[in-house]
Amino acid sequence: MTYILDKKQLEKVLKKWSADYEVYAPQKAKQFSAFLPLGSSDLALDEPHNTRYPPKSLFLPQTEVMLRYNGRLNRLEDVKLEIKPRILFGIHPCDAQAAALLDTVFATEENSDPYWSNRRKETLLIGLGCDEPPQTCFCTTVGGGPFNTKGLDALLTEMEDAYFVEVLSDEAEKLFADLPKASKEQQKQIKEVQDSAAAKMAPAFETEGLKEKLDANFDSEFWAEISESCLGCGVCTFLCPTCFCFDIVDEVQRSERVRNWDTCMFRIYSLEASGHNPRPSRKERTRQRLSHKYSYWLDHAGEIGCTGCGRCVRYCPVGLDIRAMLRAANALEMEPANA
Amino acid sequence: MPEHHHHHHDNPYDPIPMHILRAYYESTDRSLKTFELSFDKQKDCEAFFKAYNPGQFCQLSIFGKGEAPFGIASAAWEGEFVRFTVQKVGSFTEYIHTLKAGDAIGMRGPLGNGFPLEDWKGKKLVIIGGGCAFSTLYALTKHVQHPQNRPDYDQLVVIYGARSSGLCMYKHDIQSWYQNEDFEIHQAIDVPEEGWLHHVGYVPDVVKEVAPSPDNAVAIVCGPPIMTKYTLPVLEELNFAPETIFTSLEKRMKCGIGKCGRCNIGSKYICKDGPVFSLAELQELPDDI
Amino acid sequence: MPEIKEKITSEIKRLLDEGLVDVVIGFKKEESPLRPQPAFFRKVEDLAELEYNGLCQNNLANYLTRYPQDTRIGIVVRGCENRSVNALVVEHQHARENLFLIGVPCQGIIDIKKIIAEVGEEVSEFSETGDEVTLVARGKTHTFKRQDLLHDSCLRCAHPNPVSADVVIGEPLPEGDPEMIRKAVEEFEGLSKEERYAWFKEESERCIRCYACREACPMCYCTECFVDHATPRWTESDISPAGTQAWHLIRAFHQTGRCTSCGACERACPMDIKMTYLTDKLNKDMYDNYEFIPGMEAETQPPFASFNLDDKKRFVV
Repeated sequence: MTYILDKKQLEKVLKKWSADYEVYAPQKAKQFSAFLPLGSSDLALDEPHNTRYPPKSLFLPQTEVMLRYNGRLNRLEDVKLEIKPRILFGIHPCDAQAAALLDTVFATEENSDPYWSNRRKETLLIGLGCDEPPQTCFCTTVGGGPFNTKGLDALLTEMEDAYFVEVLSDEAEKLFADLPKASKEQQKQIKEVQDSAAAKMAPAFETEGLKEKLDANFDSEFWAEISESCLGCGVCTFLCPTCFCFDIVDEVQRSERVRNWDTCMFRIYSLEASGHNPRPSRKERTRQRLSHKYSYWLDHAGEIGCTGCGRCVRYCPVGLDIRAMLRAANALEMEPANA
Repeated sequence: MPEHHHHHHDNPYDPIPMHILRAYYESTDRSLKTFELSFDKQKDCEAFFKAYNPGQFCQLSIFGKGEAPFGIASAAWEGEFVRFTVQKVGSFTEYIHTLKAGDAIGMRGPLGNGFPLEDWKGKKLVIIGGGCAFSTLYALTKHVQHPQNRPDYDQLVVIYGARSSGLCMYKHDIQSWYQNEDFEIHQAIDVPEEGWLHHVGYVPDVVKEVAPSPDNAVAIVCGPPIMTKYTLPVLEELNFAPETIFTSLEKRMKCGIGKCGRCNIGSKYICKDGPVFSLAELQELPDDI
Repeated sequence: MPEIKEKITSEIKRLLDEGLVDVVIGFKKEESPLRPQPAFFRKVEDLAELEYNGLCQNNLANYLTRYPQDTRIGIVVRGCENRSVNALVVEHQHARENLFLIGVPCQGIIDIKKIIAEVGEEVSEFSETGDEVTLVARGKTHTFKRQDLLHDSCLRCAHPNPVSADVVIGEPLPEGDPEMIRKAVEEFEGLSKEERYAWFKEESERCIRCYACREACPMCYCTECFVDHATPRWTESDISPAGTQAWHLIRAFHQTGRCTSCGACERACPMDIKMTYLTDKLNKDMYDNYEFIPGMEAETQPPFASFNLDDKKRFVV
């Protein structure tokens, strides 16, 4: 069912939802937008690109208390895992697809992660598609699209005075049921907007055979070349909606066992107590990052572990562009030059 | 006393509450200490042994200090306890060494894949261990030795090398193995010692000397990386095929359940897809260790 | 700018042709909009990619500490980069005789964040001429005065001319007014304690501990940073206020008398955090107490790194 949400009604509708849900939406924070609780600031729905800080933080907080102990060794206290129902409004398809990808890591049958799962099952994702995809985005290259519905409970397409809402789940139906329905003609118009947005995005790199190229060139000098300017900071991995690596540490001053986002780009990530480091330089770490996303994810989940959101491209301090790196990888021979 | 809410069936990050039953030094220099842990709750004990398979490991947890992985060094039939041998190398293990019988400790496990015992039924087992990496091989040997399990396997050959006799683990039990007609035990130390009746030399050389036949056999090699590095070619020279050579890998770990991303070699997580891998499997994986 | 780029190219070509260096560090053309990248030239053919413009936002001296001391490195340096090189040489991070500095007097680095604040992130074209910058964003053309888009550190820059380059490309520019940094620091100092803390709190709490600031900084080259220590645990790695505030404060203190006010830290930060006010203040104190300015030459140890019997002993009881 497709409904019409008049732009002038938007604030009212969001407010109405706030009675039963905690509503998060992109709002202006300083100079850039972020997913904040409704009412924090002005809504920022008309920016062509996504928020800098990824909404994965609403399912996998950057810092999360896992367990508390009461100061004496091995006495455990509960950490409340239950959360209130939430709505993530205005999430772009790339970020919703990323949440669905991370479900394959966290919401597994065996050893399911309760912290992740509890947040996911209590949250509705109401997506906003991208009618003017930024030049740094490449969702269509990696199997996504500016109006893809994977992982979404509903998808909004912005038209002149209203958002047209395609409802995708039963629970989302309840949110929009009172609104006027779109006509067949209007639905056709929406489809045209959606298709033309996707058509604007040229493929950024070839994915066919990319995994094989990356695997075959594990020992190639290529990795040293493309990572030479890399700073080895965590910007790309922390802003990435599909990166999930974390560290677990006991914060003694607060008697808490905490997990924090971690990154394979830091030297100490794989440093062992003996002093041995399997990935001693940026070359090995860059290789790990790209191989994980474009090769190992395919082994684990049958999908590329990247949704083309463009954040790593936009915010890399030295202007490294993952699309260019992968084009260069594709140009390699199947056997490394210095085998 | 506060109620303990243990969600470890729902929360895989929750350590199982355990107490130390017995604690004793293995090595004369006190760098190796064995702990035998008992379960606070019977249902945890039942769940553990239902899932346990030799070759697996556990994360031992000390609040305020963190966690670290240790290979399980006991077989299920030995009793309702779990044995670990801990080498003192850093601040965490140094703290564990201060613990004694009656102290509380947390444990998450059993983790990992363990040895593929079903595939090994009917085969000869050539067990090759070095130093403190022998603990899971000890668990394997104990498991196979039990009268109920013994008939499932063919010959048993155990080769175990330590730097010195003082550093040899499980000495007392291993002594009794020499009386057992049922399997071969070859102990080795690096340099001669007065009173030492067994092999002198590095494990790779002892393997060469013992020269186990590869017919219907699997070889399991666990030791410091340098020992493994030099033992594998000896086995290959003895015509052991890569599918029949197994080893247990180590890497920096945190979650132990394949979620934090850290311990991967290529597309395999050592904590979940390993730590036991065949050489054939390793040859498919990139050199990321 | 294009003539400067040409002259830089021919100078690098000379160094490579004559075998005087193993590698030359400069910038190359962007792959993603507004971001030319640091580049490492080893072959003359690579020079087709060379770039030099106001968008070259990284401090290239940062890369020196990656090479062994005996690597012969050519490096394109503007004012602050030259001073960073000096600061690194003083700390024995590279042998000066193995460095060839191609100095370029700097008209200031453009702050991409100011561009984004004006016209958004979708910039498809950029050009600069003398005092003006022209951008095309989402189909519309915008022209700005260069001054209005410069990074704040560059607006306050006292030394845009390289102080110790082996060769200088282009004409020297007028030196800046050292009072600019001082005035900015005094303005901040003039705020009340509560106002200063509120500002610091607001800025530091956006921090996501990505350490882009640290990795972009030439003077942060410690193999193990204090935040990576587990025993003793100097600071939490959490993004709680205690952790992020400690990170910013302690890093600033570690920069005292070493930071050349280049602003690369702020430009690298994905969360638009201001942090140069901390190091500028500490450097002002360094100057007021010890008359020391980091990086002006490569001989004098920073006061906190050296000991002298004549040292003022005020803090020693």
